[in-house]
Formats: sequence, structure tokens, C-alpha cells
Amino acid sequence: MPNARILLVDDEKVFTQNMSKLLKNRGYEVEVADSGESAIQTLEKRRFDVIVLDLKMPGMDGIATLEQIKKLGLFTETLILTGHGSIDTAKEAMKLGAYDYLTKPCEIDELEEKIKGAWNQERQTEEKDTREMVKKISSRYPS
Amino acid sequence: MFNSTDSYRIGGQAEWDWGSAENRSNRYYVRLFGKFIWPILICSLLPLLVLSWVISSHYMEFARQRVLTNFKQQVNNHRKTIQLFLMSRKSTLKSLARTHDRAYFSQQDNLQKTFGILNSEYDDSFTDLGLIDSRGNHLAYVGPYDLIEKNYMQAHWFKEVMRKGVYISDIFMGFRKSPHFVIAVTRHESGEKWILRATIDSNSFQKLVQSIQIAGIGQVYLVNENGLLQTCPEGSGQIMQPDPFGVPAHKHQGIEVRTLKSEAGTEGQKGFDKYLVASAWLDNPDWMLIVRQNYLTAFSEVNQTIRTTLTFLLLTSFIIIFVALLSTGYILRVIKRRDQEMDQMNNQLMQAGKLASVGELSAGVAHEINNPLGIILTEKQLIQDLLGQNPSMEELKNQLEDSLQQIGSQIGRCKLLTQNLLRFARRTQSSMEQVDINRFLQEVIDLMEREAKSGGIKIFTDFDQQVENLYSDPSQLQQVFLNLMNNAIDAQSNMPYGNITFRTKSDQKRKGVHIEVSDSGMGIARENLDKIFDPFFTTKPVGKGTGLGLSICFGIIKRLGGEIGVESEPGQGTTFKVFLPYQPPDQVA
Repeated sequence: MPNARILLVDDEKVFTQNMSKLLKNRGYEVEVADSGESAIQTLEKRRFDVIVLDLKMPGMDGIATLEQIKKLGLFTETLILTGHGSIDTAKEAMKLGAYDYLTKPCEIDELEEKIKGAWNQERQTEEKDTREMVKKISSRYPS
Repeated sequence: MFNSTDSYRIGGQAEWDWGSAENRSNRYYVRLFGKFIWPILICSLLPLLVLSWVISSHYMEFARQRVLTNFKQQVNNHRKTIQLFLMSRKSTLKSLARTHDRAYFSQQDNLQKTFGILNSEYDDSFTDLGLIDSRGNHLAYVGPYDLIEKNYMQAHWFKEVMRKGVYISDIFMGFRKSPHFVIAVTRHESGEKWILRATIDSNSFQKLVQSIQIAGIGQVYLVNENGLLQTCPEGSGQIMQPDPFGVPAHKHQGIEVRTLKSEAGTEGQKGFDKYLVASAWLDNPDWMLIVRQNYLTAFSEVNQTIRTTLTFLLLTSFIIIFVALLSTGYILRVIKRRDQEMDQMNNQLMQAGKLASVGELSAGVAHEINNPLGIILTEKQLIQDLLGQNPSMEELKNQLEDSLQQIGSQIGRCKLLTQNLLRFARRTQSSMEQVDINRFLQEVIDLMEREAKSGGIKIFTDFDQQVENLYSDPSQLQQVFLNLMNNAIDAQSNMPYGNITFRTKSDQKRKGVHIEVSDSGMGIARENLDKIFDPFFTTKPVGKGTGLGLSICFGIIKRLGGEIGVESEPGQGTTFKVFLPYQPPDQVA
């Protein structure tokens, strides 16, 4: 089974650089965006399995980015990873469809576990979507 | 942007006195005491005094009139008594002259007998009795003096009695060389006049004149129309000499009463030198009766009443003043206690506000510390990953160098954050000190800059280097500017980008500094502009703001002798304008 493709969105460049290395060491395919805007641009070009998203960013912040992703139909399972450990903000993010949240600093193993969970969810959603699509097509063309 | 006439729009609760805890000096309470006590005293004492004055002045006038009427009455009675004394003796002499002839009185025995009868009838009030012919020769005489040889042709009384028929003389010396007066009557007998003359006993007459029964009488005496004494006033003056008290002897009808002051040295005693003097003229002779009564004695009853009234008034006034002082003191103590309680509450609120700021700030700082910690953790994990891959020494060395350098840099970042936080925490105790406001504002910016930047907000400064140091309270100023900066950040939280500008400008004219904190946020709705400094007013969602921040800022700036105002255009942004004096008001310093 191929490894998941992960989009890492954070304005802390050193952090994304290190995290990217760590995830790659664990076999993930990782791309980095340093703002909400560049994350949207990247998502429009390519599909990812999981997004790891920071909440506090200049310009388009995490919540705004999530809203935009949803609006553009680019939905991907998203993990919130932020230093801003406010439950309120996290809840808001969950309402917008985020898979889960983690507060900085966090161990890579913990993050990986959540990424796996999100990826599973993503695959299930994909499978469900595929099944529904097959169902729709087969009902349209009965054998 | 800045000018000295900038208006400071103050919130609706300008009276909200947050910072007055230590400001209320004793002078304030003394003034308050005055504001209470004077109306109370005026409202209670004035009517009492006016009423007492009106009543006592009416009563005094009435009593005075009564005393005067009584005095006049008694003087008039006494005048009649004296008049009667003289008239009765004159009539008796007249009757004797009518009923007895000259031959009768020429007999020494008869004259002696008549003199005896007269004195027994009139209480020995006659000194002598004599018969005188029309040429002034003494024909017969009964009395203590040797006057039988004397001729009265040239005597004033002789001429007068010859002319008038009946005559009562003034006091004169005569042949006996001692003061006396006579009553003389004439009778025509066989074409010739003869005179029956009696001398009145001076002592009896003096006693009669002084026998008036009025309390506190000083002197009672008689003067003739030339103002010469006819009887001696008790204790002063000499008979036939001018009146020592100088009562003018002008003719008048009835009883005349006047108030006279004794000449200094005559009476001497202070307070007893005022006399009530009544004068009344006798019908015959032309003598004026003078009665001098001590003024204080005359009006002793009135004075007693006045004294009683005054004592009552004084006592009542003292009671009123005492009660007013007591009750005002009590009210003031209650107010003072309430003020202290209010001050305590204000201080607690200020403290709560401060703690809220610390809490907010701590949350921000914790977030900012988590970021470098996150990086440090990833560096650790990178090294762990590498160790698990059996790396070459070269690879391990490179990674370690990279990681250690990064860890060092992130630790520096944390240190800066904690230093800023500690500086803030240290300033939680109020103290007055010199503050370089430009540097101070920069420190506040440093504390919040990262949070602002992560929200896409850029911070600009425009500091006037001419600004002098303020003598102010940094802990309170910090509270104000952190609040203003927090508000500016919150106002732009829904925007991707924003900016906050801090400006300072020295004002030499007003001896202070103008500080502006502007943001490019959503602005304040016009209807809320007047309320933003009110306590508990907030537009933030429930749980996000206490509504105390700006009202605390208002209280602090007011306490530090400054002004705070706001200008805002909805959708354009908000500017908070603060003016702080270089030297605070006395009570703060």
C-alpha cells in the first residue's frame, strides 16, 4: 500500500522543515505550504490524503483556510496542529469538518497515529464515495 | 494628526471614579463636612434667632413702655406730695392771718402758742414764725435765731410778698447765714399791711423730697428756674449751687423722662453710669423736681427677661450645634466607610482587570513558547530518527550541529518571551517613577508583537524624540496600553491583515505627551462611542470580554491626571487618544 500524501501548512518555516523530514523518514510523501493561500493553491493542483494545519497564521488563518477548502470542494481530512491550544478554536475547527487536533509541542509518534487515523477516515470516505458512485452508475445501466 | 486643541471624547461615565482611592484627602472630607453642617445650622439656627429677636424686641418695647409709665406715675405722685406739703402750709398761714389780727401776733405768747400748734400739726416742719410790718421791721419772732431787730425792706422775698400777697421763696441765706426758704402771707388791717412769715425746716423738707418709694433711686432733689439746687441730691452737690448732674431746667408740661449719662468720674462704675431722669415742675414755687433712677435697676425686670431668653437661646443653640456636629460627623463617617468600601471594590476590580490582562497575556505567551518548543522537539526527534538509522559520524555530526544551533536559537526566542512576561509581571505593583514613554511603549509592543503578527497585523511606530520622561506609574500605564493594544488586535481579528500605529507627540504648552493608538479595524458603531468607557460595556461575545478594560483605562488615566478619548469611523478604524502630563497631580504623586 502506498504511503499517505501529506500537506503541512504552518508559517513556522523551521518547524515545517523539520516535521517534513520526520514524516518523510516515516515513509510519507510530504509537501509544505507556509500560508493558507499557498495551501489552497497547492490543493488545487494536487490531491492529498491528510492536511496538517496550523490555526494561527498571518493572512488567511487555519479556520479561514478550512472554510475555503470546503467552499472549493477540495475536502481532505485535516488535522489541526497548533500552539494555540484553545478548546474553543479547536471546536470551531471540528465543526468545520477537521478530523482532530493536536497542540504543539507534540511527539512525532502521536502525530503519526493521528495521521493514520485521518488517512483511514479519508480512505473510508473515498471507498464510500466510490461505492456510491458505482451504485449510481449500475442503477443507471442495469445488467 | 496631533494638535493641542484635540478634543478628548470622554465616555458617558465621566463621573466613574475608579482611581480615587487615595485621592480623597482630608480636605475633601472637611469640605464635605462644611457642605453638610452649614445648611443644617443655617436652617435651624436662623429661624430660631429671627423669631427670638422679633419676640424679644416686641416684648422689650412693651415692657419698657410699662416701666416708663410707672416711673412717670410715681414721679407725678411725688410732685403732688411736695406740692401738697407747701400748699397746706401756705393755706394754714393764710388762714391764721385772716382769722387773727396784728395785735394778736404782736404778743410774743400768742405767736409762741401759734408756732407750737403749727409744729404739732405739721410734724415740726416749721423752724420759726415771725410778724413783720409793711416797712420790713420784725415786730415779733419765735425761733432759734436772733432776728427781732432785723429789717427786711431790701429782702427779695419781702418785695415779692408785698407785691403778690402770698409768696414761697427760693432757698436763700438771709440774716441767719444758712440756707432756708420761707412762706409769707400779707394782710390789710386798718390801711396797713403786715406779714406773717414762717421758715420751713430744711431737714423735714429734705426728708420729704427724698421720701419717694422707687427701687434703685439715685437722687431726688429740687432746682429753681435758674437750675440752682433747692434741696441737696444725696451724696453730691451743694445747696444753692448749680445742679451737679446738669439736668436742664427748662419749663415743660407734665413729666419729662430722658436717659442721661453721668459724666466720667461722677458716678464712676462702669455699667451704672446710665440714668433715667424724670423732671416735673411744681405749680408754686417755680421749682423743678428731678428724680434720677439707675437705668439698669429701672429695667431690671426687662433685663432679667432678656438674660433668661438669651440663656435659653444660647443653650438651644449649643444643643442644635452639638446635635448637628454629632449627626454630620456620623453621616461623614458612614460616607467615609462607604468610600473606603467603594475604593476597596475599585481596587479589587482593578486587580481583577490586571489579572485578566495577565491571563490573556500568559495565554498569548504560552502559545508563542509552544512554537519554539515544538521546533526543539522536532530537532530531538530528528536526532533520534538518525540514531535509529545507524548513521555515519559525518551525518550524525552534521545533524547534531544543525539541531543544536536551531535549539539554541529557539531557546533564545523563549528567553525573550519570558523576559518580556517577567517585566510585565514585575510591574504589577504600583509605584511612581520616571518613565521614558517611547521605550515603554516599545516594550508593550514587544510583548504583544508576535501575537499581532500571527494575526497578520503589522505594528508601526511614530515616536517623537522630544518627549520628556513622565513621572508616572508604569504598572498602570502598562495596563492601559496593553488593553488598548489588545482591543486593537481584537478589532482586526476577523481581517486577514491589519496594522496598529503607536504615535507620541510632546506638548510643551500643556507640559505633557499625546499618545495615539490607531488601528485599521472595524471601528466602533456611533451609538456605542459614548458608552465604551462605561464599566461592563462590551461588544465582544459573552466570555470573551469583561467590559472593564476601557473603563479601567479611563480611571487610570484620570487618576494620573491625564485624558483619554476616542475617534472612530466604522469600517475605517479607531484611534484612542491619550494625554499624560509630565508631572501628575499632587495627590497621586
